[in-house]
Amino acid sequence: MKRMLVTYMTLGYPNLETFYQFVEKSVELGTDILEIGLPPKYAKYDGPVIRKSYKAVTSWLKDYISPLKEVRKRVSVPIVILTYLEDYLPNLDSFLTTLHEIGIDGILFPDLLIDYIDDYETYVSRIKEKGVKAVLFTGPSLPDNLIVAVSKISDLFLYYGVRPTTGVPIPVSVDSLIVRVRNLVQNKLVVGFGLNDFNDMRKALSAGADGVAIGTAFIEEIEKNGLQSALQFVKTLRGILDEYS
Amino acid sequence: MVNSDLLPKYWYNIIPDLPKPLPPPRDPPDAEISRIELLKKILPKEVLRQQFTIERFIKIPEEVRDRYEVIGRPTPLMRAKRLEEYLGTPAKIYFKYEGATPTGSHKINTAIPQAYFASEEGISHVVTETGAGQWGTAVALAASMYDLASTIFMVKVSYEQKPMRKTIMELYGGEVYASPTDLTEFGRKVLKENPNHPGSLGVAMSEAIEYALDHNYRYLVGSVLDVVLLHQSVIGMETIAQLDELGEEPDTLIGCVGGGSNFGGFVYPFIGAKKGKKFIAVGAAEIPKFSTGRYEYDYPDTAGLLPLVKMITLGKDYVPPSIYAGGLRYHGIAPTLSLLVKEKIIEWREYMEEQIYEAAKIFMKTQGIVPAPESAHAIRAVIEEALIAKKNNEKRVIVFNLSGHGLLDLGNYDSIRKRVGK
Repeated sequence: MKRMLVTYMTLGYPNLETFYQFVEKSVELGTDILEIGLPPKYAKYDGPVIRKSYKAVTSWLKDYISPLKEVRKRVSVPIVILTYLEDYLPNLDSFLTTLHEIGIDGILFPDLLIDYIDDYETYVSRIKEKGVKAVLFTGPSLPDNLIVAVSKISDLFLYYGVRPTTGVPIPVSVDSLIVRVRNLVQNKLVVGFGLNDFNDMRKALSAGADGVAIGTAFIEEIEKNGLQSALQFVKTLRGILDEYS
Repeated sequence: MVNSDLLPKYWYNIIPDLPKPLPPPRDPPDAEISRIELLKKILPKEVLRQQFTIERFIKIPEEVRDRYEVIGRPTPLMRAKRLEEYLGTPAKIYFKYEGATPTGSHKINTAIPQAYFASEEGISHVVTETGAGQWGTAVALAASMYDLASTIFMVKVSYEQKPMRKTIMELYGGEVYASPTDLTEFGRKVLKENPNHPGSLGVAMSEAIEYALDHNYRYLVGSVLDVVLLHQSVIGMETIAQLDELGEEPDTLIGCVGGGSNFGGFVYPFIGAKKGKKFIAVGAAEIPKFSTGRYEYDYPDTAGLLPLVKMITLGKDYVPPSIYAGGLRYHGIAPTLSLLVKEKIIEWREYMEEQIYEAAKIFMKTQGIVPAPESAHAIRAVIEEALIAKKNNEKRVIVFNLSGHGLLDLGNYDSIRKRVGK
C-alpha cells in the first residue's frame, strides 16, 4: 500500500505567491493530502517555528477565503484545514459552511480532544453535518480506549502527533509510540509532530505508520534556503515513503 | 535477606489507562523562548524521553534494579497489627514501609534512575531543590552512587528546622544552600522583595533549574512530572506482588500528597491492575489545594522556566505557610493525579496539623515507627477508615504507603508538641 505524505503549510507563508507555488508543486512532487494552517489566536500545541510562521502572516493576511479558493483551483488532492476550535466556537457552523463552499475537504482541530473532550462527539457530528470531513488529532497522552474510539470516526486518516508540540525535537522513541497505538487504530495512521528527521520517519514507517505529516521542516527550508530547496525536500520525503510502499 | 524476586522488572505508566486524555504541556502565549524546548537543557535526555514516550510498562534497566537491591528493595510490606488492636477494628491494615530505605523515604526510587541516566549521558553534576530534605538526601546519595557531584537548594525554613538533613546530604557528598540564595537571579529577586522570605519548594525549584541551566548541569525532578510517578510505581508494583503472596485483596489504598509522586507511585499500579475500590489522597489543610485549588494550566515552578501543565493548583506564586510537614509545601498536584481527582476516581482528605500529630502519636505508640509528618497525613486517613470499618463491621483490607520515617523530623515534632501543649 502506498504510504501517504501529508504536507503542511501555513496559509500565505512566506508570501502568497511562494505559498501557491509551494502547495501546487508539492502536489506534483507527491503530496497526497495538503494540510493548511489558519493562524489561531493562541497556538497552544504548536512549536516555535509554526508559531513564528503564524505571526509572519497575520500582519497582512486579512482574508482566508480567497487564498483558499486559489489553492482549491490549483490542486485536486484533499485539503485539510488546521486551526483551533477555540477561535470558531461562536460561529462554527458558518465557518464550516464557508469551508465546504470553497471546496475544502476536511478540518483538523488540535485542541478538540484536549480542551473539548467532553463534547467531542457533538463537534464531530456538527463538522460532518456541514459536509466537511473531521480529521482527528491524537497523541501519546490519549488513553488507549479513546484512541480506539476516535480512530473509527476520523475521516481520511487519524493524525498521531508523537511529540508534545510541533517541530521541537524532544527525544522520544517513535517506534515504541507507534507500536503502542498501531493495534488500537482501525484507520490510516498518519504520524507527525516533530518528525523531521529521516531516522524517526523510517522508524515510524517500519513500526506501521501509513504516512507522515511534515510541516515545520518545510517552513524552515523555505525560510533558510528558499522554495526550491523546500520542494527538493518534498521529493526526498516521497522517495523515502515509496521505499515502504 | 529480602526476596528480590518480588522486585519488579517494569515500571507502570498510568497515562494509557486514564479515563480522559492527559492535557499536554504547553508553552505560554507569545512566549519568546519555548519552555518545552528548554527542557532539553534541563533534564537528562533519557528522563525526557521517558516523560514523553508513553507506554504502559517500561523496563527498569538492570543497572537501576541492581541499585534498587542495594537500597533494600523490595521494601517491607508490614501489617499494623497493634494499630488494628488499638482501634478495635475488624479491618486489616497493611503498610508499605518506604522509610526502610537508607535515605528514609521513597524519594530514592526516582533519584537512582535519574542519576543513572545523567551519568550514562556523560553529565558530571546534578542539581535539585529540596523541601523537607528527603528529596535532596536521595539525590545526594544517588549522585554519589554514580560518582556525580550534586548541588541542593534547600527551602530556608526547612534548612533552619532540620540541620541534620543538611549534614546527611553533605556526608553523601552534596553541596547544600538555603533557598532563596544570592547564587541565582531568581533568588536575588525574591530576596529583594522580601529579605525574610521563608522559601518554598517553588522558589527552590526555580533556583535549581536556573543554576543547572547556567552551568550546563542537569536538574533532577523530585515530583509532579509523569516520569517521576513512573519511577515511583516500583512501590505499587512491589506491593501488588507482596499482597498476592499473602493472598490479600486490597479494598482501600491511602497515601499522602505533596506533589503526588509517592501517592501515584503507590496507587497507580493498583488502578491499572483493577485492584482496590477506594483510593484516598491526603493533603494538609493548611495548604488547601484539594479543597480550594483550581484545575488549570500553571507553571510547576515559581519562576516559570518549565512548560505549563494542567493541574490542581493554588497558583505558582502561592507561598505556603511554614507547617511542619515541609514536603507538602507545594502549590500544585501532579497532572495525572489532578485528573483522577477531578474524575472522582481518587478521593481526597485534608487535615490540620493537630489531627496529624494525634495520628502520628498513635502510630508511634502502637507500631513503634516514628512516621515522617508527611506520611502521618496518610495515617490519619487510615485511622478514620479503620473506624468506619469498625462502625459498619467491615472486614476491609486497608493498605497505605508510609512514605518515610520521621527520625530526622524530631525537631518538628518538638515544636508542634510545644504549640499543641502535649
